[in-house]
Amino acid sequence: MTTATTNIAARAVDAWKVYGSGEAQVIALRGVDVELEAGHFTAIMGPSGSGKSTLMHCLAGLDALTRGQAFIGETQITGLSDSGLTKLRRDRVGFIFQQFNLLPTLTAEENILLPLSIAGRKPDPDWYKTVITTVGLGDRLGHRPSQLSGGQQQRVACARALVAKPEVIFADEPTGNLDSRSGAEVLGFLRNSVRDFGQTIVMVTHDPNAASYADRVIFLADGGIVDEMLEPTAEGVLDKLKNLDVTAGGA
Amino acid sequence: MLRASLKSLFSRKLRLTLAIVAIVLGVSFLSGAFVLTDSLGARFERLFTSINQNVDVQVALSDDGQDADPTPRITQAQIDAMAALPGARSVSGDVSAVGVIPFDREDGKPATTSGAPQIGGGVLGDDPFALVQLADGRWPSTDDEIVITRYTANQTHSATGDRLRVFLPEVNEAREFTITGTAVYDGDRDSLAGETLILFEEGFAQRTFYGQEGLFSGAYLGARDGVTQEQLREQVAPIVPDGFEAKTGEQANEDAASEVQAGLSAITTYFFGPFAIVALLVGIFLIFNTFNILVAQRASELALFRAMGASWGQVTGSVLIEAVLVGVVGSTLGLLAGIGLGLGGSAALTSLIGAQLPGAGITVSATPVILAYVVGILVTVVSAFVPAIRASSVPPLAAMREVNRPDKPLKALTIVGLVFAVPGIALLILGLVGSSLTPLLFGSLLTFLGVVILSPLLTRPLAGVIGRVVGWGMSGRLGVRNALRNPRRTAVTAAALMIGVTLVSAASVLGESFTRTIDQTINQSVGAEVIIQTNTTGGPPGEIGFPDRATEQVRAVPGVDQVVPLYVSIEARVDNAAPPFGGTFATDDLAVMRDMFSMKAVEGDLRTLQPGEFVADENTFDSRGWELGQSVPIQLDKGAEQQYRLVGVYESTPIWTDTLVLPKQAVAGFAGPLALQGYVSLDDGADTDAVVDGVERVMADYPLVTVGDRSALLDQFDSFIDIALGIIYVLLGVAILIALLGILNTLLLSIFERTRELGLLRAVGLNRRGVMRMVGTESVVMAVFGCLLGIILGVGLGAALSSALIERDFLTVIAIPWVSLIVFVVVAAVAGVLAALWPAWRAARLNVLQAIAYE
Ligand SMILES: Nc1ncnc2c1ncn2[C@@H]1O[C@H](COP(=O)(O)OP(=O)(O)OP(=O)(O)O)[C@@H](O)[C@H]1O
Ligand SMILES: [Mg+2]
Repeated sequence: MTTATTNIAARAVDAWKVYGSGEAQVIALRGVDVELEAGHFTAIMGPSGSGKSTLMHCLAGLDALTRGQAFIGETQITGLSDSGLTKLRRDRVGFIFQQFNLLPTLTAEENILLPLSIAGRKPDPDWYKTVITTVGLGDRLGHRPSQLSGGQQQRVACARALVAKPEVIFADEPTGNLDSRSGAEVLGFLRNSVRDFGQTIVMVTHDPNAASYADRVIFLADGGIVDEMLEPTAEGVLDKLKNLDVTAGGA
Repeated sequence: MLRASLKSLFSRKLRLTLAIVAIVLGVSFLSGAFVLTDSLGARFERLFTSINQNVDVQVALSDDGQDADPTPRITQAQIDAMAALPGARSVSGDVSAVGVIPFDREDGKPATTSGAPQIGGGVLGDDPFALVQLADGRWPSTDDEIVITRYTANQTHSATGDRLRVFLPEVNEAREFTITGTAVYDGDRDSLAGETLILFEEGFAQRTFYGQEGLFSGAYLGARDGVTQEQLREQVAPIVPDGFEAKTGEQANEDAASEVQAGLSAITTYFFGPFAIVALLVGIFLIFNTFNILVAQRASELALFRAMGASWGQVTGSVLIEAVLVGVVGSTLGLLAGIGLGLGGSAALTSLIGAQLPGAGITVSATPVILAYVVGILVTVVSAFVPAIRASSVPPLAAMREVNRPDKPLKALTIVGLVFAVPGIALLILGLVGSSLTPLLFGSLLTFLGVVILSPLLTRPLAGVIGRVVGWGMSGRLGVRNALRNPRRTAVTAAALMIGVTLVSAASVLGESFTRTIDQTINQSVGAEVIIQTNTTGGPPGEIGFPDRATEQVRAVPGVDQVVPLYVSIEARVDNAAPPFGGTFATDDLAVMRDMFSMKAVEGDLRTLQPGEFVADENTFDSRGWELGQSVPIQLDKGAEQQYRLVGVYESTPIWTDTLVLPKQAVAGFAGPLALQGYVSLDDGADTDAVVDGVERVMADYPLVTVGDRSALLDQFDSFIDIALGIIYVLLGVAILIALLGILNTLLLSIFERTRELGLLRAVGLNRRGVMRMVGTESVVMAVFGCLLGIILGVGLGAALSSALIERDFLTVIAIPWVSLIVFVVVAAVAGVLAALWPAWRAARLNVLQAIAYE
């Protein structure tokens, strides 16, 4: 039992999320149970509005569940105060959003070091160098976000998430705004950090190709987990999605 | 288009609220001044009407009569002639004088009022016009008896039967009287407007005030039934003596009220004027900034309008319509606040002077209403003009894509700023070299505007340095970055604060320079140990002060060496021009005065002046282009113009610059015979305190006169300066308040703009305190930046003005009040923190998820 739980980086138990009430009520999550293993690259997929972002936000301590529990490692995050959640996000979780990941007033380097600066910690110099080299930004570190391309910006965001060595990195459509080449660069980078450094990453995506970089894909539909796939391929994922659309359309 | 701008206006009404507040404050000061004046004026008019309710015609000194010497009087025969007129039912001669001051029975000190007249009158029994009635006792029947009003009795802690000491003008001495009764005004009122009134037996009053019995200073007439005021006035007019005029009761009341109103309006204008100007000036910056930020935020909305075919003019117009609406709302609220201010001010002022004015209503004439709207709307529209132009320059393309419009380069701004600043500084230098005030003032204004325009350029260097001091930790550094990221916005926000601080710093430098100068001059050049002064709020110099008799008594006080009495004329015309700014003086022996004040002769001789001779200071001498020995025509307050020969010129010093000194004989032409000040030097080894006591005993009879040693004189000067500075500090308070709103406004709008960044920061682990510190730091940087700019500019201007005054010998040193300046910076920093409280709280409360999902 102990060994089993130590391998889990984040999990949700009977997670419910309900927005609004009465007529306008939307049930975004209906009793989701999920375990995300440490050192794995997990992708979450599903039709638009299926609750992917909601699930991720609740797992990452950005939003609270209506019912059920969410854990990071062994820490139950449901019920934590704002300052507890903030500390959790600062020290144990990393984020990559679809866009607007960076502060325009800070240089790329300052953006990368932002979570550490906030925590008042110094980066591990070797690790920092490794991250910077892997991301391949070299001479662009002194630039402001407005002087970087979209792909470069996302790579900076990845570096920022990695440099603090969080227990889990949550990425919500990190390649959604990128062309396929920059997207592939970012995804390769994420996969390598899982392979080479044992980083745990949870990624929401619409792109079967992106999902194929993951170790495991979880399929969400209408607020519940409907399927999953290990060692996915782009074609396999695409087939699954088509099936899902058919079932969803039929329902 | 109107519908569209209205809609977008209402959706952003909260963000415009603060801009409106600035207009509200400015307009309320402006309209408040008028409402206060009008309301008090109306109440005074009612007061006069109730005083003169039974008077149909009033015969009083005309303007010419007031200036005539000797003052014309009405004789008993003339009064009788008026009584014999067919339309006259009753006539009463007026015997009265002002400056009749009772002494408090409890502490022996003069019972003075705060501005209300201190009246003495003569009575012959019941007043036919029933202005005052006996409340108890009987009317005075001998020289030794008086009746006083109940208010006077309260002020002097006396009652019927008591003995009361009263200072009598004209004869200039204090005497004791027995109170035979107390009187009240019609309606059982203690006083009309906080004045004291003492009634003497008529013959005694005539002898005392007019020098002989049977003379009157005016007359009141009541008309027979069926005779109108105007008919009676026409009957009286032919027999009115020279120097007098007859007015109907109504006319007299109106004239008296409008005279009071003119005085009031001067006070309120001086008091409220600067506040309104500062508030509106600061408001311009606030509104400008608000509209600028709103336009920037709405870029895509405006671009959409343009893309849909709205013209350049329509977009500009839509922003200006918003400005007009903001102006209308601000003016309306400001007007209401102004009416409140007038109401409160009227109540406060009347209770302050102890007046019991009839009615407490409020009078709002058309002027404040029109002014409120014109000024409010004009200020808003003018401030929104540049933002409106900017709005129209948004390219339609901006609607299609996320155009990150970079901040325009500051080059054009630099040029415009220099266009103002360079000639400004040139004029300043010119003014300094030529020691003339006009180029100096224009130079200051232009330099000020130049610096305002150039301030965005200074943001990076100056605010950067401030940021290094206050930007602690990551959140501090982020706050500093935020303050620097939009130099224009920061600069304009700071400029609002800069205005107030510039004013106050300049005033502080002037104040400090004056204090130091006076300190030095008095200690170095005034040889007097004991100084006699008169409170000049009690009346015009000459009519208040102490008589020659008292001077002689002071000379006899043991330990006194020399005494220099100074007589002052305020209305002299010299060489057919205004009198010297520093004053027209006379003394009994110039040689003694010269030694007392260490005056140095530059030309001619400073010896005892003979009749028809005078001396002047070097500045007056130079500026009027006189020559030694020249005869100059001088028209004193009374009597005919006379030639005086210039026999000497003395060095100009801060106390003697722009002055001239006449011989004792000239005092006959001054407003009155009394000396205003006395400077007393002591024998070697004499005890100052003992002499002060001795002189005080002599002066005890003269209620407005105070005696003190040299340090008391210095304190008095300092307290003048402190009062002036006090008013300026209040002004600073108002300016800071509005500037705070400006900072608050900018912060709120910026936070709104940066919602997503805040969300990101919170997501990656910045806690609420960190967010608050970030916003607070940005605020403090802006506030201190504005304050420092203001201090630099203010000290510069203050020093420039001071050195101009040094040229003209009003000052000897420029002193920088370092402590005050440091206090300003601290106040600004604290103000910055305060301004950030609400925005910081809002920023910290932001829902992280919504912030990320924003838009
Ligand atoms: N703040 C909210 N208030 C009300 N309903 C919400 C809110 N946020 C999300 N929802 C609803 O919850 C459901 C799940 O939303 P969620 O954002 O998790 O979907 P998603 O799977 O991430 O979709 P997408 O692929 O489009 O990003 C949707 O029906 C959505 O409309
Ligand atoms: Mg989503």
